[in-house]
Amino acid sequence: MPIVATEKLCKTYNPDTVPVHALRQVSIAIEPGEFTSIVGPSGSGKTTLLNMIGGLDKPTSGRVLVDNVDLTAMKDSHLIDFRLRNIGFVFQHYNLIPVFTAYENVSFLMLLQKRGRQEMHRRTNELLDAVGLGGRKHARPREMSGGQQQRVAVARALASEPKFILADEPTANLDSDSAMNLLGIMSRMNREKNVTFVFSTHDPRVIKRARRVITLVDGAVDQDQPQN
Amino acid sequence: MATYIKLAWRNVWRNRRRTLITVSAIVFAVVAAVFMQSINRGSHEMMLDNMLRFSTGYLQLQDYRHQDEPSLDNTFAYDRSMHQRVLETDPRIQAVLPRLETFMLAANHESTRGAVVFGIDPQKEHHFNRIKDRLVKGRFFEPEQAEAVIGGQLARRLQLETGDELALIGQGRFGMSASGLFKIVGMIEHPLREMNEQAVFLPLPAAQELLSAEGLVSALLIAPEHDRHTPAVAAALRDRFGDHDLVVRTWPDLLPELLELFEFDLAGPRLLALVLYIVIGFGFFGTVLTMTMERLREFGMLLSIGMRRGRLALVACIETLFIGIVGVLTGLATAWLVVYYFHRHPIELTGDAARAVADMGWDPVLPMSFAADQFYTQGIYVFVLNMLIFLFPLWKIIRLDILEAARK
Ligand SMILES: Nc1ncnc2c1ncn2[C@@H]1O[C@H](COP(=O)(O)OP(=O)(O)OP(=O)(O)O)[C@@H](O)[C@H]1O
Ligand SMILES: [Mg+2]
Repeated sequence: MPIVATEKLCKTYNPDTVPVHALRQVSIAIEPGEFTSIVGPSGSGKTTLLNMIGGLDKPTSGRVLVDNVDLTAMKDSHLIDFRLRNIGFVFQHYNLIPVFTAYENVSFLMLLQKRGRQEMHRRTNELLDAVGLGGRKHARPREMSGGQQQRVAVARALASEPKFILADEPTANLDSDSAMNLLGIMSRMNREKNVTFVFSTHDPRVIKRARRVITLVDGAVDQDQPQN
Repeated sequence: MATYIKLAWRNVWRNRRRTLITVSAIVFAVVAAVFMQSINRGSHEMMLDNMLRFSTGYLQLQDYRHQDEPSLDNTFAYDRSMHQRVLETDPRIQAVLPRLETFMLAANHESTRGAVVFGIDPQKEHHFNRIKDRLVKGRFFEPEQAEAVIGGQLARRLQLETGDELALIGQGRFGMSASGLFKIVGMIEHPLREMNEQAVFLPLPAAQELLSAEGLVSALLIAPEHDRHTPAVAAALRDRFGDHDLVVRTWPDLLPELLELFEFDLAGPRLLALVLYIVIGFGFFGTVLTMTMERLREFGMLLSIGMRRGRLALVACIETLFIGIVGVLTGLATAWLVVYYFHRHPIELTGDAARAVADMGWDPVLPMSFAADQFYTQGIYVFVLNMLIFLFPLWKIIRLDILEAARK
């Protein structure tokens, strides 16, 4: 059973003035453990699609099912709780709370989830070690490089043990070494811990690391291919 | 909760300079408001104290009929043991002064004037209001003698001097006629004009005999340590003497026009403080406005990853509170020091003002009140201000559109 499924998802911006069809009848299904990249030219609807799947935006028509729960029918306050418990996010930038250290940023989500202190402490340390930041636990975001900040964001997304992690262009602001390093961490988590990732990108080197590539053109699925 | 407080605290200090400026503005407002109030209250307290000590006192114990009919028939028994019982009612009672008071005609050999005759205990009276310092001629009387001390203006009108005889004519208890001759042994310039024109002081026993009111008084003046103890002392006295045909009356009840005067006089500084707070409020609001606007993206991110709007609002609320609380506490501490200093070393008046005040028989200084409530009311004002200002981030957070915030 897919962990995420969209059914004939359509999104039209400005329907009354100059309609922009950002998504046209997109139906995809993501299975647990996938490492999937959404690609396509600028303006093809990648961000729009990820926002729908993440419950950050509502479609004009169609449905989004996460673990068979229809997100499109949910109220804003329920969606916030649903995201907290089920979906991990890595954004292109402004991921972290600037006044919190790496450690505090990672544990913050678990705090919102009301987990026990000990578990929080253990997992935060484990995850920061796993993303290679064991030595920078007490650094604040502005004291870290862009790549390090994105790694903290990945650790935070993992910390909440979500059903899947969405990442909209997580490497767009990084140099290529940092980008490959981040991808390496994501792909290792995927292989070792079976964490499901769905991410969008423009970067051909990043696309190469994906195991499934969904190509959007003009808001519609153009290709959907597995890779090894 | 600890994490939210930590988050809020660090956010507050994100822009250290801006926060410090805001905090300083609040500190300034609090200090200025307390200072103004303290000067005002201080002179009020002094005026009140002077007025009351020479007139009705802070509270009185009276026969319950005395207020409606202040005649000698509505008096009550007073002796040593009564004195002791009243004094022991509450530890905050400093003194108890007996007074027998009635209206009579004062006469020289050819003319008469209306006079208010007070039978008093000169020692106790002096202890309470230093009345002997007001003597301009002669001395105070001995308790058992038929001697009188009279107001200077009354003496002038009757063309009487110390050593002359004063005739008092009127009615005693139960309509009995009362008249007597008293030797004027002293003359005082009383600070209250009416008293200066009308007062005749007699030793209490002599007055009681004159008025056929042996062992009786019209009122006992009760002196609390401080005006702020008046209500508590009044309550204690009511408890103790409520069922003896006696009532307790406090100065606002005895001199209602005085209270009105003071209320009116306080309106000005209050308005000024309000204006001050409105100005400071805008500065504070400006800080909170920028703190909110420059963080909309961050707010959007927090909502995206699953922080509830209520939690976010809580953090924003704590931030506003922090600024307010730090400002108020620093302000109160500073105000306390400033007021304490001037309370101990009052500002001295000079020139005409000093002369005018000295003529009233008061020290030519600007007294500062040290009453506690003028400190904590400022805290309440700033707190209310806080809550009003917090409405802005609250409104922003409730209405925040995640995607719009992310695009900013
Ligand atoms: N809020 C909006 N209002 C109107 N049009 C919008 C809005 N958001 C996106 N669009 C339009 O929808 C289309 C899809 O946008 P989207 O951001 O999903 O593309 P994208 O694939 O993420 O592009 P990029 O690679 O540049 O990030 C674009 O034509 C865009 O202009
Ligand atoms: Mg995009």
